Amino acid sequence: MVEIRFHGLGGQGAVTLVRLLALAGDKAGWYVQAAPFFGAERRGAPVKTFLRFSESPIYRVSQIYRPDMLVVMSDSLLDLALSDGVREDTVLLVNDAMDSESRYAGLPFRAHLVDATSIAMDLGLEVEGMPAVNIPVYGAISYVSNLVSLEVITEVIRENISGPRLEKSMEAARRGFTSVREVRKKGKAVRS
Amino acid sequence: MSRMVDIANHIVAHAVKLARVGVVSAYPITPQTQVIEEISRLIESGEMDCEYIPVESEHSAMAALIGAAAVGVRAFSATSAHGLAYMHELLHWAAGVRLPMVMANVNRAMGPGWNIWCDHQDTVSQRDTGWIQLYCASHQEIADTVIQAFRISEDPRVILPVMVNYDAFVLSHSYMQADLPEQEEVDRFLPPFRSAWRLDVENPLTHGSVIYPGDYEEVRLSMQQAHDAARSVIAEAAEEYRGLTGRHHGALVEAYHIEGAEFALVAMGSLASECRVAVDALREEGLAAGLVRVRSYRPFPREEMVELLGGLKGVLVIDRDISFGMEGALYSDCKAALYGRAEVPIFNAVAGLGGRDVPYTTIMDEMRSIVRGERREAVSWPTVCLNDHHLASREGMSRCG
Repeated sequence: MVEIRFHGLGGQGAVTLVRLLALAGDKAGWYVQAAPFFGAERRGAPVKTFLRFSESPIYRVSQIYRPDMLVVMSDSLLDLALSDGVREDTVLLVNDAMDSESRYAGLPFRAHLVDATSIAMDLGLEVEGMPAVNIPVYGAISYVSNLVSLEVITEVIRENISGPRLEKSMEAARRGFTSVREVRKKGKAVRS
Repeated sequence: MSRMVDIANHIVAHAVKLARVGVVSAYPITPQTQVIEEISRLIESGEMDCEYIPVESEHSAMAALIGAAAVGVRAFSATSAHGLAYMHELLHWAAGVRLPMVMANVNRAMGPGWNIWCDHQDTVSQRDTGWIQLYCASHQEIADTVIQAFRISEDPRVILPVMVNYDAFVLSHSYMQADLPEQEEVDRFLPPFRSAWRLDVENPLTHGSVIYPGDYEEVRLSMQQAHDAARSVIAEAAEEYRGLTGRHHGALVEAYHIEGAEFALVAMGSLASECRVAVDALREEGLAAGLVRVRSYRPFPREEMVELLGGLKGVLVIDRDISFGMEGALYSDCKAALYGRAEVPIFNAVAGLGGRDVPYTTIMDEMRSIVRGERREAVSWPTVCLNDHHLASREGMSRCG
């Protein structure tokens, strides 16, 4: 089983993101579970969501404390995200500017950066004035995790987003997928 | 068969549609709201032929259901926590007058302090209203149980309302896969509703009116007998549904690794799903652990408890509720079922109240202490974590007056 924990800000679309990932996981043949942790959410407040993919039916319903992958949708949430529980081999994906590598070089994790905010703003992909970072992150997760292909997530976008946002969303996912940068550590490759 | 990847609340709405429900009446409350939003959408789009009666409260929603069922219409509602509590009087009414109907309840904590998260106090508090109470542990089971619930409720041996319960957020708002049967399959399983009695202007009758002490006990006994009969009806419905879909989630209980087990967990709802993970992990440690998941809380699986738990070296019952001044309600019921029939060391953990997370590791720790014979207290609260704020509040209360 693969467990991913997401930290985002209210309005960034973290719940939609795990829903779209669950739909993609289903298409890719996984058993899926996407669970938002609901609270008194407000725009801009920290939110948390959980995603499980498994080759067999999923019975675990508790929260994820030792994620295989940790997705941080705003760099302001990094410390909070790390303090919620990680493993030695947790893979980290952060939405941050590409010139902020030094911040991650000291962390004991395989860290990846995607500048989802810039991608969303560049494409004019906004939800009520906030950059829709979830779609570029969707693409980035496909690249880093290898759990669902870009083709499958593009198909899910096509089935779930309509109107003028469709083309922009497919492009945002593609850019997210192609622009992931691994913070160099001991010369490890992005993918083995 | 059609596959859904959705939140349990939406999956319920589609199961209700497949059951060809004629009237839905409900009042929105978190975490139930999406059930009735989706039903409204299905009716509005013409996909579902059903009358939705908007009401100003849950009390009225249950009154509308009673009215609908009393004229022979298949009826459904959904609620949660305080909405369920507000229906209390009419829950007695629906069961007492013997009307079949199904209601989904999303298990949520009772306030104050206000809390929208998962907890079984809401339905355990309605235990003695005469309703059949079924508890589900997965999206798939919820879909299948809603359909089975109408069959059980309308069976001439039962004729009682059925409450289908599932956990707030953990199930209600999480996305998982569920397969829904085809309409023709459901139609074969669930024939049109034929009521035992109905209000009809051409044949006027009085039902649910005053009865004197000379008749009241007989009515109550008939309800108890209907619950007794429901045991086999629930099992039959589950079995026949298996023949239709290949899926079976248990009858009154679902046993997991109980054969050859020396120790067992007992729980309801999504906590029992987490218990299954704990059982697997304990088995990997070489411990012969098993699980009895209670699907039907009323009628209670008395015989199953004796048969499955009798002779074990230790049992831990986990309650997501507390009967104040006593212990977890499920624990009391399990002990009552075993009394005089089986000697089993049996303990209780009250855990997961108000949405507190209960990881399988906590369940394993509780079980290990029983296995090692270290457990002394009958009832533990393993997920409680008192901090300075809680202690200061207690200190403040102790100084009052």
